[in-house]
Amino acid sequence: MVPMEYYLLLSAAVFCIGVFGVLTRRSALMFLMSVELMLNAASVNLVAFSWFHGNLSGQAFTLFVMALAAAEVAVGIGIILTLYRNFDDIDVTNATTMRW
Amino acid sequence: MTSRPEFADDLNFVSGLAAVALFAVMAVVFVGAGFESATAGFPADVSVTASLGYVLMDLNGTSLAEATPGFLAAFETIDIVLVAALAGAVFLADRGDRGGDR
Amino acid sequence: MVGALEFTPAIPLLPLASFFVALLVGYFAPRLLPKGGAIPGIVATAGSLVMSVLAFFAVSQGDYYAESLYTWVVGQGTFSLHFGVLVDPLSAMMLIIVSLVAFLVHVFSLGYMNDEGETGLPRYYAGLGLFTFSMLSFVVADNLLMAFMFFELVGLCSFLLIGFHFREPGPPSAAKKAFLVTRFGDYFFLIGVVAIFATFGTARFVATGEGAHAFPHMAEQALAAVSGEGAMPEHVAHFLDVVGMSARDWFSVVGLLVLGGVVGKSAQFPLHTWLPDAMEGPTPVSALIHAATMVAAGVYLVARMYGFYALLPTVLAIIALVGGFTALFAATMGVVKDELKQVLAYSTISQYGYMMLGLGTGGYIAATFHLMTHAFFKALLFLGAGSVIIAMHHNENMWDMGGLKEKMPVTYYTFLSGSLALAGIVPFAGFWSKDEILYEALIYGAGDSPILLVAYAMGLLAVFFTGFYTFRMVFLTFHGESRSDTAENPHGVGWNVKFPLVVLGILAATVGLVNMTPVAEFTGAHIEFLHDWLAGTQGTALSGLGYEHYHHLLEDFAGYHAADIAPFVPAAVSLALALGGAGLAWVLYNVDEPTKHTEKLGGAKTVLYNNYYQDEYQVWLANGVTLPLARAADTFDQGVIDGVVNAVSSVSLFSGSRIKRVQDGVVTHYAAMLTLGLVALLVVFGVAGGWF
Repeated sequence: MVPMEYYLLLSAAVFCIGVFGVLTRRSALMFLMSVELMLNAASVNLVAFSWFHGNLSGQAFTLFVMALAAAEVAVGIGIILTLYRNFDDIDVTNATTMRW
Repeated sequence: MTSRPEFADDLNFVSGLAAVALFAVMAVVFVGAGFESATAGFPADVSVTASLGYVLMDLNGTSLAEATPGFLAAFETIDIVLVAALAGAVFLADRGDRGGDR
Repeated sequence: MVGALEFTPAIPLLPLASFFVALLVGYFAPRLLPKGGAIPGIVATAGSLVMSVLAFFAVSQGDYYAESLYTWVVGQGTFSLHFGVLVDPLSAMMLIIVSLVAFLVHVFSLGYMNDEGETGLPRYYAGLGLFTFSMLSFVVADNLLMAFMFFELVGLCSFLLIGFHFREPGPPSAAKKAFLVTRFGDYFFLIGVVAIFATFGTARFVATGEGAHAFPHMAEQALAAVSGEGAMPEHVAHFLDVVGMSARDWFSVVGLLVLGGVVGKSAQFPLHTWLPDAMEGPTPVSALIHAATMVAAGVYLVARMYGFYALLPTVLAIIALVGGFTALFAATMGVVKDELKQVLAYSTISQYGYMMLGLGTGGYIAATFHLMTHAFFKALLFLGAGSVIIAMHHNENMWDMGGLKEKMPVTYYTFLSGSLALAGIVPFAGFWSKDEILYEALIYGAGDSPILLVAYAMGLLAVFFTGFYTFRMVFLTFHGESRSDTAENPHGVGWNVKFPLVVLGILAATVGLVNMTPVAEFTGAHIEFLHDWLAGTQGTALSGLGYEHYHHLLEDFAGYHAADIAPFVPAAVSLALALGGAGLAWVLYNVDEPTKHTEKLGGAKTVLYNNYYQDEYQVWLANGVTLPLARAADTFDQGVIDGVVNAVSSVSLFSGSRIKRVQDGVVTHYAAMLTLGLVALLVVFGVAGGWF
């Protein structure tokens, strides 16, 4: 079958693309999408190891991760709404009042 | 009038180098790690999806489900978390100064 | 009467109680003190006097008392610090002197302060009570540190009492000057106390039980060991190695350091400048503190430590020369003064010079004798001056007085008794004591120590000046015609002024009888009572405190041997000089309208009137020498030391103000820092864990 390293590399690559998006995107919605990418990369990692060890726990855990991701996005969109109300803009680099 | 999607070139790509560095480190570690070539895999005759369902409910429907610890408590907890998230989202979205439907 | 000595601690504590009563009741319930605190003071000092007399009788039975009362620092493996009492003949005598004079001054204050309508009396009587407590505690102190503490405390009380009329400009300034000048000397005294602790491991004057040692005895053993007899105490040997000097040199240094405090407190040259200014205080205060007791503290300290000083010929010679010089120096200044109390102040400085001369030349008995007689006649003269001042409505200028002899007979006759004692006219007290000092100086000087003859000459010359200024004072004040209206109609004085004057007048006339050495030599009768009193017992632990012991020390260690001169010729010489001075004053001033003869001295008079410019010199020392040094030290402190501390803190402030700018509010920057941190962590773990 496919050697394990490829699954891990895939997971790492998707994770780092998500990190790249978190670091560089200015729109809050794109920011949230990048966070979703990171979560799914972690899920891929979990499933890969579940298959490596032959233990179902990894896949069950992945289901929970997905549910949590959904919950988190729901709350996150609510926060973006509040952000827009206070700053008239969803640019994350614009909201800098909590600073020195 | 719609506007075509444009490449976001107002980004600051320098910060992204940190992500690239992270990938490089992880790649080096993963490639260098020695995994056994043989993977355990799952038995071919058992339905993985069905087993997952039994595991979520702490039931022993299949042989695979018997070998795995139960996740009922986590299932219920996730249920509560989803309800809380739903309520939180509705609360955050509510604009108290408006009221009625506008 | 053994039990009487057990109550010795109560002797100083009674005036302390009157201090608290005057202070607290005077502040919180002044109407309970109709006389402003005089009654508690009089009762307390009378009680102290009675107990001092009882102690005196107990000591005269040969029963000394040395007891450690309270150890306030318990040394672990080193010396302890304690309070204790020592009642031996010297301190028993001094206790009576101090408590008697304090009692009489309290009675006199009823007339001087209460009857003159002074305000703030509780503060005055509280100050007197605290002073009496401190002085009595100093007298019975059994170790040098306790003596130092009460030495300082009497200085504080002097400050409080001189500055009693603090709303006027003169007294607070005089009080500050008195305190600072004596404090300057006390600084050296403190170093001396520390040196004694370091050298001997103890500051006790006498060894009471439990293996304690006395430092004069240890010093004697050390010097005996140097000349080959006996073993040096190891504490002393160890310290002499540290300090690198021979025993005699180091002990001389220590003796000179302690002498610094003595010179300040007893107003010897050069720290005498505070005493004339201290006359700004009320006259009873001058009588008690600056005539009879506080200035006696220095001389008493040397007498107490005489077992130590008698070992050091250099220090003794210095004491004698300083004393003789001060006696002459102050007597010359007393000749030209116009104010009554100023003449008496310079007279006090001069007479204490005599006592130091006596101690320095080995005349321990003579010096303590003069201490006793001087306490009485000087207190008498000051109280008499106080009576005159009351009569003259607080005008002290002698040129406004005159003719008071008929109008104030009690004051006149008692003042005359004191003056005759001061000038040293036979048979009044001062003659016997001063003459004995000069005699001892002569015989020891003509013996093996010729430098003492210089001091003798200075003391002898001062006798002439003493007689002159004393009788100039008497004649200008009491004889002749009244030179102002106030002198015509002086204010009357009551019994509370006259009673102390009469008591002291009688004492000034008769107390010389306790030690009439020339008469004893002439008749062979055994009437030298003071000599016997201070001789000390043999064979007891306290024999180190007697004159017999000191005499051996003076002969063996200081090399003082007496020449064989009969006392009559020196006595006749000093009596002739005193009569000569008095006679010159009679001729010049005992006329109806005396003129200011001192003006004829011209430039000399200006120098004398300005006190040889010693005050200006000391002010120059403070301004020209001390102040620039202090400024330099201040610059160093603020610039260098504070600068270093500020620089250290500024590093933190500067770096903080720069680093805080990292928190710029942009979330993606935070995320970037997180990621970089994670990368770094992974690399570190990987390298350490061998992942690569």
